[in-house]
Amino acid sequence: MIGFILAQCLSALSQAAILFFIACGLTLIFGIMRIVNFAHGVIFMLGAYIGYTAAAVSGSFLVSLIVAPIVVGAVGMAFERIFLRPLYGRRDGGAYLLLTFGLAVVLSELIRIIWGAQPLSSGIPDVLRGIVVILDQPFPLYRLFLIVLGLAAAIAVWQFLERTRAGLLIRAVSQNSEMVHALGTDVDLVRTGVFGLGCAMAALGGVLAAPLVTAFLGMGTTVVIDAFVIVIIGGMGSFLGSLIGSILVGFVQVLGAYYFQDLALAFMYFLMLTVLVIRPGGLLGREE
Amino acid sequence: MSGKVAFALTAPVGVLLPFVVPQYSLTVLIEALIFGLFAMSLDLMVGYCRLYSFGHSAAYGLGAYSAALILTHLQLPLLIGIGLAVPATIAVAIPIAWICTRSTGVSFAMLTLAFAQLGYAMLFRFRDITGGSDGIVGIPRPPGPFGMTWFQGKIGYYYLVLGCLFGSYLLCRAIVRSPFGAVLSGIRENERKTVSLGYNTRAYKIATVVLAYGFGGLAGALYAGFAGFASPELFFWLVSGRVLIMVVVGGAGTLIGPIIGGVFFVFVEHELSQVTDLWPLVFGSIFIAFVMFAPEGIWGIVTARFKQKPIVPSSAGGEETSDAAA
Amino acid sequence: MPLLECRGLVRRFGALVAVDAVDMSLDAGKIRAVIGPNGAGKSTVFNLITSVLKPTTGEVIFAGEKITGLPVHVVAQKGIARTFQLCHIFPALTARENVRIAAQARDAQRWRFVGGGRVRNRSAAIADEALEHMRLTRFAGVAAAMLSHGDQRLLEVAMAIAQKPRLLMLDEPTQGLSLEETDRAVQILKGMLGVGNLSVLLVEHDMEVVFKLADDITVLHRGRVIADGPPAAVKANADVRRAYLGGSE
Repeated sequence: MIGFILAQCLSALSQAAILFFIACGLTLIFGIMRIVNFAHGVIFMLGAYIGYTAAAVSGSFLVSLIVAPIVVGAVGMAFERIFLRPLYGRRDGGAYLLLTFGLAVVLSELIRIIWGAQPLSSGIPDVLRGIVVILDQPFPLYRLFLIVLGLAAAIAVWQFLERTRAGLLIRAVSQNSEMVHALGTDVDLVRTGVFGLGCAMAALGGVLAAPLVTAFLGMGTTVVIDAFVIVIIGGMGSFLGSLIGSILVGFVQVLGAYYFQDLALAFMYFLMLTVLVIRPGGLLGREE
Repeated sequence: MSGKVAFALTAPVGVLLPFVVPQYSLTVLIEALIFGLFAMSLDLMVGYCRLYSFGHSAAYGLGAYSAALILTHLQLPLLIGIGLAVPATIAVAIPIAWICTRSTGVSFAMLTLAFAQLGYAMLFRFRDITGGSDGIVGIPRPPGPFGMTWFQGKIGYYYLVLGCLFGSYLLCRAIVRSPFGAVLSGIRENERKTVSLGYNTRAYKIATVVLAYGFGGLAGALYAGFAGFASPELFFWLVSGRVLIMVVVGGAGTLIGPIIGGVFFVFVEHELSQVTDLWPLVFGSIFIAFVMFAPEGIWGIVTARFKQKPIVPSSAGGEETSDAAA
Repeated sequence: MPLLECRGLVRRFGALVAVDAVDMSLDAGKIRAVIGPNGAGKSTVFNLITSVLKPTTGEVIFAGEKITGLPVHVVAQKGIARTFQLCHIFPALTARENVRIAAQARDAQRWRFVGGGRVRNRSAAIADEALEHMRLTRFAGVAAAMLSHGDQRLLEVAMAIAQKPRLLMLDEPTQGLSLEETDRAVQILKGMLGVGNLSVLLVEHDMEVVFKLADDITVLHRGRVIADGPPAAVKANADVRRAYLGGSE
């Protein structure tokens, strides 16, 4: 019995790990730019597809783990630089919404054109295949790997934000960009960098998710809503919030899938509706 | 007043078109007009109230499935079936509107998307009623009331759609020019101020969303009656995306712009899709370009040219000329 | 019975007490000015009265009725009109339409979503009158965004009076106005008073304006009322002088 509960918990945590990669990026971007990157789900999807190709070409999962985030991060930075930056200061906040939406559509189509409509999967890499037995319960090694990696990433980002100069800059800009600008920092550069970092993280999530769910068109839409729910729960712009929120949603999703199989699809949406109905402005952290 | 001019020009054209174009093009034309109506319905939300929706496909899908179910199971006359689909859509739209308007901005958009996704999921959950991934096929066009059958043929259906489009346009135009519509423009310009003047802006927003769903549902119902089937793709987020693109590119807040945008896009898509697989990419890129450089859209640009540039006497003396504020 | 009464208003933001046990009352037909150094809590008090913010404790009573915590639009419908410190208007609409929408707010038929020609005419007439009053008639057809800052502020006042309020709340109406514009504004305001028993609550930094217009003055400092009375008494009050010249913020 305990073994079963433990297995469910680990399952939830592995789910949370992937969600964390996406939600953390989304919240960082919001914190610094006050925009919700609607294309984040498609960025995640792009990561999955590029990861697939990288793995197929190089024969190594590790390579895809490195290549995909870098490539997608660069794409993100280019997008921010070319399309988002000129819009700063526009009275109508809707422009960002539409732009990131347009990006989502364009990227979606590009992916379909380049990789085709069929789902792709290179499967779980051999070295991570296998079952680990915990308290008489079998548990996939890959999912443990996800938990470890997720934890490592969380610590890394946390240390980065707290201990490094770049992290300090990021936190400062998200609090008062004008002041930071007045002190001589190129705020635009910080924004571009954070956008790229956020995209890179989402892409990493995509690479990690692909062996489990396969890379398929439409994986972005579901996930962007999940990430949005997490960011709302945890507070828009709060790194810690994205971590807590991811764990929370991870558990909700796993338990929901187990006990309400039939409504698995609808469950996530009910959760989001509930959160937004109870607290339309978000729970913790900064408001929009 | 360019609206009246455009109307006066297009009305006779619209009436004569079926006799001028080949049958095949007529099919595309009907779909184009339906989409024009769909786009105009979204304009009420986006253009007049700045309520960006990523889930308007829900309105379309609700209308289509309502009409499909009514026509297939109840064997009511086509006109009645389509007519009933509208209140059915509105009934579902009311709680959706109530929930979504609790938030603004991105949260609002996400909520609308969530509802569309929910609708999509529900279709598969209740596949006994909705036919699951197959959808509902073989939707009839029963005759009547009063034994009318003119809409059963293609040309007749074209006039039905045209009539609905014109009628809806006139109704939307009246709404936008009414005291209610004036409040919408207040909400769009400065919601905080509108509230402080004494308007219950939440109620106005709910009403706007419900109206948008009503007209969108009509479009969906017309589609179901035309195509003869309703399928889950109608709820897919890319449908919401497409119509949002049409509204922005056509010209948000003009009613006519989105109609033109919708019609134009369906035609271009039809032509382009035969030549290349890349057309959604082209649309997406055009959309981004408009958002960045021409947010007033095609019709916005066209009408701006006909507007007078106001000469502004400033209190300090001297004059400045300027374009009408965007 | 006073038209407006604030009883023990308190508003906390976390550890910061922005408004601390503020009592204030305004009789019908009078003007009360609320003054104080920056950060004294003047705009916060305005926001508490109009329900933009809910008080932590305390009550707001208007015409004998408790309005604390009612929705903002309901409070406005009771007959309170306000302007904002950062001028809030409808930029892309014409000046006339700006005021017309304000006038329409009290029309019983404002919900009409088709037709409504008569509503339009009624509110347009009130709007033209208000524009005339504020001497903005020549800008009627101009987009509000095109107006100078001073004219925009006057437009906002026009919108407020078009609501035909019982209580007019003006938040720093002369801020950013030139000397000449300020004089004009004071003249207009003076002319409006006594007409229809209009009462005015005024936040102001310009002491000359305050002493020209106010019947009574409330002085706030760090969220507290440190003086309350007719202009002469407040002028002479030592606490007030200390608050303004003490240099503390």
